[in-house]
Amino acid sequence: METRPKIALFQCKWCLYSQPDQNWVDNDLPSSMYLVKLPCTGRINPLYILNAAQGGADGIVISGCLPEKCHYKEGNLSALRQHEEFLNFLDYIGYERSRVRFVWLDLQDRGRIQKELADFEAEIAKLGKAKVLATRTNVSPGGQYA
Amino acid sequence: MVDAARHPRIDVRTFTEVEKVEGFVGNFKVTLREKAKYVIADRCNGCGDCARVCPIEVPNYFDMNLAPRKAAYVPMSQSVPLVYNIDLDACIHCYKCVDACGALEAIDFSQEDKLVEEDIGAMIVATGFSHFDPSVMEEYGYSRYPNVITSMEMERLNNSAGPTAGNLIRPSDNKNPQKLAFINCVGSRDKRYNPSCSNFCCMYSIKNAILLKQMNPNVDITIYYIDIRTPSKGYEEFYDRAREMGIHFSQGRPSLITEDPETHNLFVHSEDVTLGKVMEKEYDMVMLNQAAVPQPDQNHMSSVLNVAQSPGGWFMEYHPKLRPIDSPTDGVFFAGACQGPKDIPSSVAQGSAASSRASRILQSDHWEIEPTVAVVFPERCSATTRGRACGICAKACPYGAINIFSPEIPAEVVTAKCHGCGACVAECPEDAITQLHFTDAQILAQMRAVLADKPEEKILAFRCHWCSYGGADLAGTSHFEYTANERGLRVMCSARMDTDFIYEAYRLGAGAVLYSGCHPQDCHYITGQLIGAKRASRLEKIFERMKMTDGRFRVEWISAAEGDKYARVLNEMQAVLDDIPMDDLKAEIEQLKPEMSKRLKKFPGVPGVQEAMDYSDILVDAITKQKEAA
Amino acid sequence: MNHEPIGSLFVDEVKAIPGGEFVEMCYSCGTCVSKCMIQQKGEPEFNPRRLLRMVMMEMKDESFDSKTTWLCSACDLCYPACPQKIHISGVIHAVKSLAVKNDKKTIQNTAVVDQQTCVACGLCVEACPYEAIKIIETKVPYRGIINVASVDSGLCMACGTCSAVCRSTSIGVPEEFTDESVVEGLWTWLQSQGVED
Ligand SMILES: Cc1cc2nc3c(=O)[nH]c(=O)nc-3n(C[C@H](O)[C@H](O)[C@H](O)COP(=O)(O)OP(=O)(O)OC[C@H]3O[C@@H](n4cnc5c(N)ncnc54)[C@H](O)[C@@H]3O)c2cc1C
Ligand code: SF4
Ligand code: SF4
Ligand code: SF4
Ligand code: SF4
Ligand code: SF4
Repeated sequence: METRPKIALFQCKWCLYSQPDQNWVDNDLPSSMYLVKLPCTGRINPLYILNAAQGGADGIVISGCLPEKCHYKEGNLSALRQHEEFLNFLDYIGYERSRVRFVWLDLQDRGRIQKELADFEAEIAKLGKAKVLATRTNVSPGGQYA
Repeated sequence: MVDAARHPRIDVRTFTEVEKVEGFVGNFKVTLREKAKYVIADRCNGCGDCARVCPIEVPNYFDMNLAPRKAAYVPMSQSVPLVYNIDLDACIHCYKCVDACGALEAIDFSQEDKLVEEDIGAMIVATGFSHFDPSVMEEYGYSRYPNVITSMEMERLNNSAGPTAGNLIRPSDNKNPQKLAFINCVGSRDKRYNPSCSNFCCMYSIKNAILLKQMNPNVDITIYYIDIRTPSKGYEEFYDRAREMGIHFSQGRPSLITEDPETHNLFVHSEDVTLGKVMEKEYDMVMLNQAAVPQPDQNHMSSVLNVAQSPGGWFMEYHPKLRPIDSPTDGVFFAGACQGPKDIPSSVAQGSAASSRASRILQSDHWEIEPTVAVVFPERCSATTRGRACGICAKACPYGAINIFSPEIPAEVVTAKCHGCGACVAECPEDAITQLHFTDAQILAQMRAVLADKPEEKILAFRCHWCSYGGADLAGTSHFEYTANERGLRVMCSARMDTDFIYEAYRLGAGAVLYSGCHPQDCHYITGQLIGAKRASRLEKIFERMKMTDGRFRVEWISAAEGDKYARVLNEMQAVLDDIPMDDLKAEIEQLKPEMSKRLKKFPGVPGVQEAMDYSDILVDAITKQKEAA
Repeated sequence: MNHEPIGSLFVDEVKAIPGGEFVEMCYSCGTCVSKCMIQQKGEPEFNPRRLLRMVMMEMKDESFDSKTTWLCSACDLCYPACPQKIHISGVIHAVKSLAVKNDKKTIQNTAVVDQQTCVACGLCVEACPYEAIKIIETKVPYRGIINVASVDSGLCMACGTCSAVCRSTSIGVPEEFTDESVVEGLWTWLQSQGVED
């Protein structure tokens, strides 16, 4: 059976201005997508991304506020710096850059998150399943903390 | 309009602009540009055959570009006069219209703009207003979201003579909207765009809501507002009626409109301030009540007509309360929104008032003006003494009342144009101009009288007639106490406060001098205050260099409503004097006297001044003796 | 007649602090409230307009206790939207600084440092959008007098950025979730989706 690509969505809790969009993300994501809601994209620990990649997620979406409209002034700039850097490392261990997408949402981007996710899903479907990372088997469910 | 066009004594010139205005009240020479219509007005019978055959369609500005018109067109069927017009920018020169017009031979592509000169006794300016473009306010998405429209577009869409014959449809899918939001104060009462209130949009917002509700009682309309302004008779009742009809009012200015990209429905985000709760409500269509703004060519017209503009850019009236219809230039009157946004009843009232003001001029053989006009001593003008008129007076005059025809001919005041601010008098470096009733000699005599006794204790306050004098008056009638050492001296405008007067005051030993007038936007003489203010700041620098104690010379702009400020300023000046030990003050006065005298070398030469000095010396002497005797 | 000013007013105290100057220009249009995310994201009492009103109505204690005073993150979404050009977060900051001066404490959970593991690398100092973290020299049990990170709770807005950059998991905001719970959640989901090896 054809399964949908597994996508982990890291979202800051402020970036969706319209309530219906937020409700959709909170309640109506397909089971092939998983939401991690955080105070700020700046709060996304690279370990989370690493765990998603190692655990077998086919794609990762990071959604946050537009750079100059961050709820915490510039938390998202910190995120951008940190994760751009971290993508190099993911690349190195064999997780392609194209499997990670940043979505910076403006206040008036009503309905954009649905479109972005659908678009990204189609793109990932084209890329196919993520390669099994060499490190995968070494980490048990629960990640490094288990 | 039709009646006006038919009236034997009304000459309607459409498609015509004022190019140049010369002369003065009762005797204006106005140059008009009659633009080429490429249709001979006398021959056109308004049949419209040309438009029917014209193959070119462009958006009709009269319909807010919601409907097309031809290149041969009238903007609307009720146009007066009903003469067609060829839009040459759109025309492809197929000449089908010429054939269609046939034997009438009304179309003439060789026409050119014509300049016509007319003798005009009085002018009424009624150029109206323009509309703020809300597309600069990203938050409301106008021009990005098809279903966000402006009030002007709404006016056309719900008009039975409009492009949809009064059937209100929304642009994205031509469906009749069921849920509508109107947003008030779009670009008005907004310091980012236009700080002032546009006056009529609250009311037309309610009007449009009622109209739509009458056409279809099932439509759901919400008006978002900051405050609802219903200031005229019957307006509040109209507002009541809207509420009775079930129109919703939500106090709270929306911060954002978002759009569902599929349905093009709109979501208005606002706080309902009475509840203190943020709401997101869905609508089929949103109307923005955009601010009324001055016409794009208002600045240009203001210089052509030589009338001033208020801070917002509207034409400025002579006096906001007492002469709201007159412009500062005699013989020019305002009617309607060009002087500030106003609704139809007020515009009509102002129009009627303006025509009656204008007819006074047309009925008279002579015209009375204020007697305080400026007069030139031709023998003192540098044109006579040095063969070159310097022109400083002409530059200073806010009314363009001074002519300098050639460098060798002394400056000439056009008395009918002079309003008597005295700017030229104070500015003339040759003391070649005087102002009747406010001559240097007269003012000097007053100064000498008030500074005769213990001048070092006195504060000489120069006040302008219209503002700071009124402010001082108000301080008195409101019983705001201020120092008894103040001695007020009235001139018409701060522009008349000659540097000579100030130096002379200090030379006579004055303790302190106040230089006061209107706030720049309130100046009665268009730009008189600016001239006064420039001079005052020059004086401030000079006295600083002389090391005069800070506060002995003070410049303040005080309106007639600021009695409290007048009192406060005077009390502060008194405090400055109180802080200087009397001996030090006297020493400073003595020390600066030679400086002042040096700057006053030319003053006794001014006509009448020497006599005034001698005469007031005798008087002052006599008074002092009398006092001593008593 | 007496025209002396009547004593010192709270609104004057606020206006004296840079940023608070124009509080009285607010005409209560409510734009800032609906532009702001905080009320919409679940804080019904958050209302900058009402805080400004409290300042104007001399409600000093109420304004110090208001959630708005402590939760505004100075994101300034509202500032460019205000038709009266009021720097709203500037006013709120002025109220907050007066509150702090009056010994009021923030109602947020702010970041805490584990002094036992912090290596004073300074990554968090650089990352904090509010410049709330400093490296200080202090006495730490078992470690002696050493340099560690220290958070000013009056400035911290609990964004958690510091916790994401710290390489030794030494700093973080007490939150409803932990690193462990996030990672665990991810893995559980991935397992449920059937990861093939
Ligand atoms: C959407 C909307 C709805 C409204 N509804 C109502 C209502 O229901 N009731 C009400 O009382 N008021 C209403 N008003 C207000 C009303 O429009 C004004 O009160 C009225 O138009 C003012 O009239 P006016 O003659 O001063 O100016 P305008 O109507 O603006 O007329 C000025 C005229 O001068 C012409 N002109 C401009 N510059 C020049 C120039 N240099 N040379 C020659 N001609 C020039 C223009 O082409 C124009 O024809 C509404 C306004 C708007 C925007
Ligand atoms: S009239 Fe009403 S809608 Fe228009 S600017 Fe004034 S308050 Fe706003
Ligand atoms: S947007 Fe400005 S004027 Fe409106 S309520 Fe907020 S602070 Fe006041
Ligand atoms: S600055 Fe404060 S009040 Fe304004 S939008 Fe941001 S969090 Fe809300
Ligand atoms: S990033 Fe971590 S280790 Fe480095 S200074 Fe901050 S708290 Fe200490
Ligand atoms: S939680 Fe945010 S605001 Fe607080 S110290 Fe950490 S980075 Fe700074």
